Amino acid sequence: MPPSSLRFEGIGTAWQIDTPDELSEVVVGRVRGRVEAFDRAYSRFRPDSLVARLAEAPGTVDFPDDAAELFDLYDLLDEVSEGAVTPLVGRSLEHLGYDSGYSLTAGPGRVVPARWPDAVSRVGASVTTTAPTVIDVGAAGKGYLIDLVAEVLVESDVESFVIDASGDLVNRGEPLRVGLEHPFDPSKAIGVVTLGNESLCASGSNRRVWGEGLHHILDGRTGAPTSDIIATWAIAKNGLLADGLATALFFVPPARLAPHFDFDWVRMHSNGIAERSRALRGEVFS
Amino acid sequence: MITRHQKTAVTALAGLSLLGVVTGCSTEAATTDSASTPVATPTSTTEATTDAAESTPAAAGSSVYADGEYSAEGEYTSPGGEEHVSVSLTLADDVITAVTVTPESTNPNGKKYQGEFADGIAAVVVGKSIDDISVSKVAGSSLTSGGFNDAVDQIKADAAV
Repeated sequence: MPPSSLRFEGIGTAWQIDTPDELSEVVVGRVRGRVEAFDRAYSRFRPDSLVARLAEAPGTVDFPDDAAELFDLYDLLDEVSEGAVTPLVGRSLEHLGYDSGYSLTAGPGRVVPARWPDAVSRVGASVTTTAPTVIDVGAAGKGYLIDLVAEVLVESDVESFVIDASGDLVNRGEPLRVGLEHPFDPSKAIGVVTLGNESLCASGSNRRVWGEGLHHILDGRTGAPTSDIIATWAIAKNGLLADGLATALFFVPPARLAPHFDFDWVRMHSNGIAERSRALRGEVFS
Repeated sequence: MITRHQKTAVTALAGLSLLGVVTGCSTEAATTDSASTPVATPTSTTEATTDAAESTPAAAGSSVYADGEYSAEGEYTSPGGEEHVSVSLTLADDVITAVTVTPESTNPNGKKYQGEFADGIAAVVVGKSIDDISVSKVAGSSLTSGGFNDAVDQIKADAAV
């Protein structure tokens, strides 16, 4: 076990950072500050966020400089997935009840989002809309945030660490053995992988559930929750990619993602079958 | 169709309702920290006819479901249309320990898709206890917290009245 663990809550989930030595108060402050700054920019759940401003009225909002990389990935995922992965599922999520007030009450039918490049024009981190637009960066945002927190640690001369933002991991240092949680039973694993200096992001439709067939992973082409794939894992050089790809694996056959991205993956279907990439460093129990 | 060597209850377990069961249970797990989530509910399926009811009775103890093999016809709606599969699974201590899936797709895309499973790219999952695999971390879907949990609790409380 690592000698020191920092635990806290941020962006609506549990975090744990393991390091060989206890992090100083200064570094802890920087980490917490980074997470808070991200929340302030991208949270759909707080009225003072930049995202909330665009939801209220059209216009131009300058996101933090680092947003460019996040939105670049969304551009590519939107293209490759033909609109299945899009930040514009925000309104669809609200419609199904996953809104800032947690009404958890689904409206009738579905809201199918507009296509991302049609609804939003962007120059770097500056986003312009012509209608009120709900941007939800849930598909890749948390993965990106673990990268940003890793950056804070590296800049603070912390060389060896594991950041675990509840399903999204960054590892720096010794290889890390990680179990892939069984989506039907959290006391079980469906496989195990070895993580080098890279990221593993997990995504599943089993926890953020608020009604029959209502969960947070929506297909941007239909505005409806997915049902065939119930859990995915992606391993890539950073959290941004791993998280975005873990989401994309719900909608896009891995073979179609492979030409665009360097990654390994596991995904599980609702019928209990799991697929894995051939080069995966690990195994799926069968 | 149901393969011969599978004994026990033949049930109509729709793929969609399986997901419903799973998600329903997970809501429970997310809000009550229940360690073990039941995975399927043979008792809730319809048209349960037994052609050889040999399923082992539940071991006395914490199991919610009887150990044994279960077979079912499933259907689900994929982006390509309606799909049918035959699923048989083995339950032990409320955990699926083996699953066999036989595609019965009539949709051309579905056939191709399901056919890939038969090529050995995919495998049926058998869960192992996390205590037995010696890992430093476990990665699954994000835990929920705060507002979401409170809201789900509220809905449950309202429903219970």
